[in-house]
Amino acid sequence: MKQGVKDMILNSKPSNSTMRNGARLAVIAVAAMQLAACATAAKPEAMIATPTASAQPFPQGLQHAMCVRTVTGGQKTNALWVSKVDDQSFQTALTASLGGAGLVAQGSACSFPVDVNLLGLSQPIAGFDMTVTSHVNYKVYDPAGQPLVLATIDAPYTADFSAAFVATERLRLANEGSIRTNITQFMDKLRQAEIKGSAPAVAAAGGN
Amino acid sequence: MKPFFAGSIWFAASVCLWGCAARNVVPVQMAQPGDEGLDCSALAHELAANEESAARFLHQDKKVEQANTARNVGSVIPGLGLLLVLSTDLSNEEQIKARALVDRDERLRFLVKRKQCTQ
Repeated sequence: MKQGVKDMILNSKPSNSTMRNGARLAVIAVAAMQLAACATAAKPEAMIATPTASAQPFPQGLQHAMCVRTVTGGQKTNALWVSKVDDQSFQTALTASLGGAGLVAQGSACSFPVDVNLLGLSQPIAGFDMTVTSHVNYKVYDPAGQPLVLATIDAPYTADFSAAFVATERLRLANEGSIRTNITQFMDKLRQAEIKGSAPAVAAAGGN
Repeated sequence: MKPFFAGSIWFAASVCLWGCAARNVVPVQMAQPGDEGLDCSALAHELAANEESAARFLHQDKKVEQANTARNVGSVIPGLGLLLVLSTDLSNEEQIKARALVDRDERLRFLVKRKQCTQ
């Protein structure tokens, strides 16, 4: 292999074997670049769902009445392994998404707390196009503590080769896109929620 | 040995280019149509079945985790290491299914309480 590299540099007309060695080197270099590089965690700001102008409005009762009480199931990213989504990042992204739609309660008055369980991310180990599917359970409770929305959402997202050359980067983008899509679908479920009557606000057990 | 290494590297690179898609995982839905119509006996039956399945999935998940760790350790082997890394299972199928069943049971227990089932 080393001789092949030498030949490539010294000879202006490379031989067939040199060409083969060069091609091998190139493939190995590409493969190594796909697998190497440090993994970084998903960024909360890239996971925020943006409401579309044409979307159906949210029920009046949910306006300024929600908070994200708990998020569980997330994983910290190990820089030597693959990109993951942690609880805090997800909570930040979901709270910002709800806030952008005018649903977050002010102060500690929260009538409709949301508990989230990140069931997991289905990730590929390598590939040009990387598709990540996030599986998330959302539990929204009404002021009486009764479940208002119980949703299991599976959201796939593909980051193609044009999104990022390095695989670890592409995987992070796929994670972020998948969570963003997941939150968007959750908010669509909220639009369809049926709230019976109106009840006084109760203090949230957790923060937002 | 040399052709073997070269072959395995070529194979691994090919796999890289074609992509290693994650398995399609379908977790159980927390709330399902017809839940309200379940009687106490049906609730108890589903709860017991879910608990058994969740325990089985958690056990399988540990095995997958151990296998992934072994593959990571083996990744230092020249040539073969790349193949081992590429065979890592990141689909999290067992974990996702187990956690979904635990949440489903939470929903069923809520119904058990509301229907005032004795057991």
